[in-house]
Amino acid sequence: MILDPAAIASLYRSHGHVVLRRARTLLGSEADAREVLQEIFTALVRNPDAVRSAGSIVGWLYQATTHHCLNTLRKARTGARVLELHVRPGLTEIGGPRGEAAAEVRRLLALLPEDVAAAVVYHHLDGMTHAEVAELLGCSRRQVGYLLERAQGLWDRAEQTA
Amino acid sequence: MNLAATPLCWNACLSALRLDRWMMGELGAADSETVGTHVSTCAACSTAVAGMRGVREEVRVLPLPPVPGRPATRRRVTAVTVAGLSLALAASLLFVLRTPPATERVKGPGLGLAMYVQHGTEVRRAAPGETVSPGDAVRFAVSTPRPAFVAVLSLDPAGKASVYFPQAPRAAQVPAGSEVPLPLGTRLDTTTGEEQLLGIFCASAVELEPIREALERRQGAASLPADCQGLRWSFVKR
Repeated sequence: MILDPAAIASLYRSHGHVVLRRARTLLGSEADAREVLQEIFTALVRNPDAVRSAGSIVGWLYQATTHHCLNTLRKARTGARVLELHVRPGLTEIGGPRGEAAAEVRRLLALLPEDVAAAVVYHHLDGMTHAEVAELLGCSRRQVGYLLERAQGLWDRAEQTA
Repeated sequence: MNLAATPLCWNACLSALRLDRWMMGELGAADSETVGTHVSTCAACSTAVAGMRGVREEVRVLPLPPVPGRPATRRRVTAVTVAGLSLALAASLLFVLRTPPATERVKGPGLGLAMYVQHGTEVRRAAPGETVSPGDAVRFAVSTPRPAFVAVLSLDPAGKASVYFPQAPRAAQVPAGSEVPLPLGTRLDTTTGEEQLLGIFCASAVELEPIREALERRQGAASLPADCQGLRWSFVKR
């Protein structure tokens, strides 16, 4: 596969939606999602070898998006970046259960170890089978089951201490 | 909370990965046919695919990533940049309603307005500038990182402004979330041409009639109350 800048621009047009759509779900922010989209393809321009050896471009984009988004959520947690950017003080709290629950999921994803969080994202947010998750994580299906079980335990504990 | 029951969980039968691979031609012939047959008969999966196609159309008009040797584009576009970009790209959707005072943010991060269209039995996520038909049913969804008071107004091809949502004199409360469906759908009338939509996100339950009246009087160039931010959309009815 030859990936010169023109080919990467073409890849951006044809496959960029895979990144943008998942980043929107994971981050809940249009601006952050577009930033992840730009970052992934800019990195690809600098280092096309990253995807050249991948068996599946879609699979590689899933891995890259998940990694970038989990990093963004962790930065948001440590720097309270998302809170500062997205929550304007003084706004009336309406208490919408769906939006609050989604924000809680993102907050808890930032607390999980990367492999555990990635397994949660792939299985629950992307609806993947254990076999599909195993393919992207490069591990066995049994390991995926273990990661998901661990995630639920850590999740329950985090909720209790919140 | 059960991890399998969060609001972000995938709700189609086939995974997002499998549907993406199918759309991008990465599956073998037999597998691709199996997925295609399933999608054509499954409402949940066909809705998911329609959403994926909608985002694909959006990306086609977004700026390309910077290449080495070319000055990098600004990652977080300002409201003014967004306005210029949208004017250059006739089909683009987000632009400000007026030049903002220096202290006021007109477009906030994470705000979004999406439109779903039902044409016959097919439901799709409409791309900005898309053509729809009289009689189609439309429903809006909004994204907001914090709870907000929301309204959706329109300026039809005949220059008449109206309020799509809510059916109330003031903007209605919507919880924070991504693509939160507004509870009210509507069926498009027979007026053809370009219809402009204005989604507003406010910190208080603003009165809508002054905004509607200004939108009609100034033919889309309405200013907003100080605590509101606006997103604009358009579609073509024919």
